[in-house]
Amino acid sequence: MATRTVVRKERRLRDIPPALAGLLSFLVPGLGQIIIGYWELGLFYAGSALSLVGLIIWRISVIAYKQETWAERIPVAFSRQGILWVLAIALAALWVLIVVDAVRSAARKRPRNQLGYVIILAMFFLLGWQIVDIDLVKLVTEFGDAVPIISRIAWPWPAAVFREEVAFQGIEIIYSDCDPGDVPPATPQVSGEPYIDVAPRCGELSDYGVAGTLLTVHGSGFRPNEEVVIWWEDPIGKEFRVRYQGDFVTAVTDENGAFAQEFAMPNLLIPPSAGEGPHAHILKARQTSFVGGLKPSKELLLAIEKMVETIFLGMMATLFGVALAIPVSFLAARNLMSASPVTLAIYYATRFILNIVRSIEPIIWAIIATLWVGLGPFAGVIALLFHTIAALGKLYSEAIESIDPGPIEAINAVGANWIQTVVYAVIPQIIPPFVSFTIYRWDINIRMSTIIGAVGGGGIGFLLIQWIRLTDYRAAGIAVWFIAITVAILDLVSSKIRERYV
Amino acid sequence: MLVVENLTKIYPDGTKALDNVSFTVEDGEFLIIIGLSGSGKSTLLRCINRLIDPTEGRVTWDDQDVTAASGPELRRIRREIGMIFQHFNLVKRLSVEQNVLSGRLGYVNPNMALLQRFPADVRDQARATMEQVGISALAHKRADELSGGQQQRVGIARALMQEPKMILADEPVSALDPVLAHNILQDLEGLNKQGITVLCSLHYLDLVQRYATRVIGLREGKIVYRGSREAIRAMTDEEFKDIYGEEAVRIETGRSVSGG
Repeated sequence: MATRTVVRKERRLRDIPPALAGLLSFLVPGLGQIIIGYWELGLFYAGSALSLVGLIIWRISVIAYKQETWAERIPVAFSRQGILWVLAIALAALWVLIVVDAVRSAARKRPRNQLGYVIILAMFFLLGWQIVDIDLVKLVTEFGDAVPIISRIAWPWPAAVFREEVAFQGIEIIYSDCDPGDVPPATPQVSGEPYIDVAPRCGELSDYGVAGTLLTVHGSGFRPNEEVVIWWEDPIGKEFRVRYQGDFVTAVTDENGAFAQEFAMPNLLIPPSAGEGPHAHILKARQTSFVGGLKPSKELLLAIEKMVETIFLGMMATLFGVALAIPVSFLAARNLMSASPVTLAIYYATRFILNIVRSIEPIIWAIIATLWVGLGPFAGVIALLFHTIAALGKLYSEAIESIDPGPIEAINAVGANWIQTVVYAVIPQIIPPFVSFTIYRWDINIRMSTIIGAVGGGGIGFLLIQWIRLTDYRAAGIAVWFIAITVAILDLVSSKIRERYV
Repeated sequence: MLVVENLTKIYPDGTKALDNVSFTVEDGEFLIIIGLSGSGKSTLLRCINRLIDPTEGRVTWDDQDVTAASGPELRRIRREIGMIFQHFNLVKRLSVEQNVLSGRLGYVNPNMALLQRFPADVRDQARATMEQVGISALAHKRADELSGGQQQRVGIARALMQEPKMILADEPVSALDPVLAHNILQDLEGLNKQGITVLCSLHYLDLVQRYATRVIGLREGKIVYRGSREAIRAMTDEEFKDIYGEEAVRIETGRSVSGG
């Protein structure tokens, strides 16, 4: 036993003076080890040390990007990023370790490399920290910036429902750009309806820095002890809430449903198309109230519609994918295709194509498909379909390859023909993995279709990206919730079905 | 009557699994084939019903040339020869009943069987067969829920559905414990007494002595021993070892060499 261990470990080592080995490893880290014959270790040292040197040089040039020469860059970079000192010292230590290791190896001593590995790992970790710009302080101190968005996305339901409002209002016509004699027709008082009386009814609009005519509104017949909001409709029919001295003009009715409020005529542009004066404006004193129950908002309905679209998008891609992947998987199963060189060539070609198609992400297929068939869910189906065929083709073919030949042998032995053998011995064996992989893929396709939507493949992903870009985070939150709920349900369903079939 | 003449099998990788094997099995015999793993027992049994095509030689079964048969003729020969396996080779996801029914596939209309349907008389036959081997209670269980002994009984029931004249048993008890091994072999013995020829490969001398009416021993694809019922019962452990003999010694030597 002992002899054999030595034989296994023995490798042909070149005898070189330890000092030369050390010098070689000093010039190129690991070169000494390579010459001696520990070439894997030498290449590892050379690769690590040289890539660390390269990365440090790159960091210095990035940090001190304004400096022209290395003589200027190095001190600037080291003063800006103290971590570079640590890296430099570690690199020097690693260099020394590699040289010492080369000397020891040349002297045929047992190599001790653990410290070198630790230094290399630690340096890559530090550089990684640097390169990806990890900033734990920012992570904590600027968390506040994320709170409004997170809270809207986490609880979007206020935007998902609304209640209809009805207005309870009195109106009066006001002229601007009018002669003192012009008085608009009075709005008749209707019993049971609120009524307002405005004085004067002809005045000047505010201009920048110049307050307009002060109006006094007296209202009656409103609901008692409730807020009344003053609205203004300009001659082109645009309605807005009136501001006076910086605040929206509101009043609260007394117990008889009456109020009085004073404010200046607002500042607004009269478009030339409105012609010469007088221009008629409508003043509205409005109480609003909600009627009826909660109703789903436009965003909620849209999200539901697109979620359904997404589920079907995933389903169609899976169905077509399964239908096409089954024949492909037979071509990609080695045990079925190894009969002759021709079939073996088909097997290799199929495998090769499947691997290429599978290695292209669905998001890239989606971009290609949107150019091909235009934006919308059909592009999404095509994108997912390509990836599904490739992925399922591989999984199915592996399931076919791993079937137990025993039952096939047994069914053959009873005198069954080929098709009977397939029905009795092959299909029962491949159904469980096929069902399992198919459901797993459906699950993936629905999750994936949200991403596909973002690049124009239809479905809820399209909405999600649109709402995020419009900074409508509550609406985006609705989409996020729908996706999360759907994926969770699907996950549960697919795991239950797989449990049953496998 | 089964006649095997000069049977040779060379696998594509060059392994010579059978080397000029010839023997005859009379109807009603319980022939046991002994030999080490890799001595060619499984290949020999599979060449008889052509699960493996022999390279040379001839197998004749009831005056039909098995080695020359093809297609429907071969399937007709196969359905007269039942086979049971070391690892049972049941379709694990199908029920016991479906596994037993599948033994009849060589007889039924192939199109019916595609839908996994069998005629009523075949289903009655399956029920009777399951009764016979004592697995009626398990009929609707999935095959992989059964213990090893139960699975082998299903295997026997499947072979019986063929109404075979001969049963090939490839190490039918190697995966079972000794008590179950006796039970299964007793079942086979019972079938043998009903007139079914049995060809069975086995490892253990006591089982061979107990059940065989005739024995052949294989080593490296050649027949190295032929013994009658009396000869095998008189055989000592030493003689039995002789068949495996040199090989076993060589392994021992090999170990000591590599160990040193």
